[in-house]
Amino acid sequence: MSTPLIDPSWLQLLASAGLVLVAIGLSAARSLGLERDLGVAALRTFVQLLAIGYILGFVFATDHPAIIAGILLVMLGVGAWTVAGRQRRPTAGLRLLVLMCLSTGCGLTLVLATEVILRVQPWYNPYYVIPLMGMVIGNSVNSATLAVERLDSDLRGGREQVEALLALGASSRQAAAGAMRGAMRAAMIPITNSMMVVGLVSLPGMMTGQILGGSTPWVAIKYQVLVMYMIAFSSAVTSFMLTALRARSYFTAAHQLREDALAD
Amino acid sequence: MPSPPQLAIRLERVGVTKRERVLLHDVSLAFEAAGAYSILGPSGAGKTTLLRLLNRLEEPSTGSLWFQDTPYAEMSPLSLRRRVAMVFQVPVIFSGTVRANLCLAAQLERRDAQPDPDELSGALEAAGLDGGMLERGAAALSVGEKQRVCIARALMTQPEVLLLDEPTAPLDPTAARRLIESVVRLRELTRLTVVMVSHQPEHAQSFGGQVIVLADGRVVEQTEAAQFFRAPTTQQGRSYLDRTLSGTRS
Repeated sequence: MSTPLIDPSWLQLLASAGLVLVAIGLSAARSLGLERDLGVAALRTFVQLLAIGYILGFVFATDHPAIIAGILLVMLGVGAWTVAGRQRRPTAGLRLLVLMCLSTGCGLTLVLATEVILRVQPWYNPYYVIPLMGMVIGNSVNSATLAVERLDSDLRGGREQVEALLALGASSRQAAAGAMRGAMRAAMIPITNSMMVVGLVSLPGMMTGQILGGSTPWVAIKYQVLVMYMIAFSSAVTSFMLTALRARSYFTAAHQLREDALAD
Repeated sequence: MPSPPQLAIRLERVGVTKRERVLLHDVSLAFEAAGAYSILGPSGAGKTTLLRLLNRLEEPSTGSLWFQDTPYAEMSPLSLRRRVAMVFQVPVIFSGTVRANLCLAAQLERRDAQPDPDELSGALEAAGLDGGMLERGAAALSVGEKQRVCIARALMTQPEVLLLDEPTAPLDPTAARRLIESVVRLRELTRLTVVMVSHQPEHAQSFGGQVIVLADGRVVEQTEAAQFFRAPTTQQGRSYLDRTLSGTRS
């Protein structure tokens, strides 16, 4: 049995805003103070998705590799700025480092998924590349944020341990190994948890979207499995590179902790 | 004619400035091999900065340091730190047993290194602990025992110089006195050069050797401990001692 696709009208969409109005009403009733934020967030959801709808319409229509590569670069750039912006000291060096690690992790994932596994033709086919990369970059940004935050807090909080190891003749890499492990673990927790409970307590957005869009549940499930594995790979590669390279910025060439890296 | 004493570490006109604040100014010192040195001075005098320089956890802004005949800058910091070991004011203990803590130094060089059990208990005994406590959990030890484990761990690198940064600060008076006695015995047993920062002149008196007094980042007195406690040779040394002793008595 195939169900005809229901294309929601603009009026129906407007009616769905009533759902957010209820949430705003509940916030007001309980004095949560979230009314304004909820209103702005709902409006931003609409405007941002409308904008990306137009952009995707344009990208799909032109179907040109340079435009698709440009879109991916913008996504990576915004991701890198977001990761750096969440840190205590978002320096230009950190932004570049995150951009490099995100590009490597997500880029490798894209190549492996589209060229080796799915064999997408042509390689830049936007119907595959854009949604897959959207999910991979979004999740890798979360992992990278957690990795950098955790590394910084562990090196600050564990300064005595790090210096005690250095004083015993440890290299900066050996002295930071514990903090690097903690950062990698923190970065991998979200995707590990997601893979543990997917299908049991959550139906991922992509799968839901594909089913609503008319795909059979089997196709949707296969793509969801692929996406989860892609995110796990990309998160691991990105956070591995990022923690290893970022940890170096806390030390001098003479294996000393840098005061300026730890300064508030 | 007796040959001049062999030097363990030498500082030539060393200065340290951080964030436009002068922490050490034009410090020249010579630490003889197998010597005992107490660094005294008020808070903020630059004592810990001096010790961190000796372990090369910091770089001088001006001047130079020498280990025996080699400039610090020409040595690998990692091998230097094994020869000039440092123990911090607050004992830093890693998870696991006392044995795991003592094996750390060797395992930093070779991951699967397992030092000889006699060497491990020897290090513990040299630090004033029972050589049989290797399998005890390090986290459950008293602060005094932890500090001694840190000393034993530092000894596992076979250092020629041992730097102690106010090792008695977290200890009660009895444990502090015992720790100083252990360090004195350690020096008698080995030919280790020991440089100890202290806030308490009476510990420097028990420790013996030489006393170096720092004030505002400068060396204001360097003399034999016995001489210093009998009659400091400089006005600044005398006023530091008077102030500290009157503070202890009050």
